[in-house]
Amino acid sequence: MKIKTGRFGEIEVDSSRVIEMRGGILGFEHLKRFVLLVHRENHPFMWFQAVDDGNVAFVVVNPFLFQVPYEPEISDDAVERLSIESEKDVVLLVIVTIRKDPFRVTANLRAPVVVNGKTREGMQVVLEWGDYPVQLSLVDVPVQETPAADPDRREMKISTSLGG
Amino acid sequence: MLVLTRKSGDGIRIGDGILVTVLEVRGKQVKIGITAPQDLAVHRDEVYRMIRDQNEMASGAGGLDVGGVKDAWLKLIEEKGSKKDED
Repeated sequence: MKIKTGRFGEIEVDSSRVIEMRGGILGFEHLKRFVLLVHRENHPFMWFQAVDDGNVAFVVVNPFLFQVPYEPEISDDAVERLSIESEKDVVLLVIVTIRKDPFRVTANLRAPVVVNGKTREGMQVVLEWGDYPVQLSLVDVPVQETPAADPDRREMKISTSLGG
Repeated sequence: MLVLTRKSGDGIRIGDGILVTVLEVRGKQVKIGITAPQDLAVHRDEVYRMIRDQNEMASGAGGLDVGGVKDAWLKLIEEKGSKKDED
């Protein structure tokens, strides 16, 4: 299927890679379908692009790329809503806020986007436990050595390559 | 706004799918139980607002285009590198 986007123009996406959001992204609940766009180039910021509004796209990143203690406890309710059967099927993404000042890049660890990689159902889960920050400064935390193009990255199985 | 007075253990029904129950009243705090259909998200108001505001801020990606976001990542790594060198 073709989708029109503000940033990437018209892109071709395999309809089997569309992520159906249950409950949606808070504040953007009307947008139910998203695709995860990955750059072929070696950098880990990805785009969570709304299918039905080309102008809405979030920068997301795999939180485990950063060396911060992060053990999000997904509520039973969310596990049930997303029909998650195994931890192995979970794709976890955190939304990144990029500001004009490049040193003020932050990630929202409090409300990750949780996707069942098998069924491609997702939701933004607000974590009840752990007191994780809404604005974790990414400048201040070390990055894992794992190369960004690691084929084992779970999100690769549900993403679409942007190329170039 | 509809205002109802309830005691501990009492409930309020909203439509046919939502039940709000006052579980406990202790001092200034009220413990509330909510039974709602699965497709309805339930959040603490202040947490909902905080996450929503952050999402709104994030959705613009700082007005940066695709290349700008890539540069933001590279600058981030560069900044980390220079921090490492200082250590």
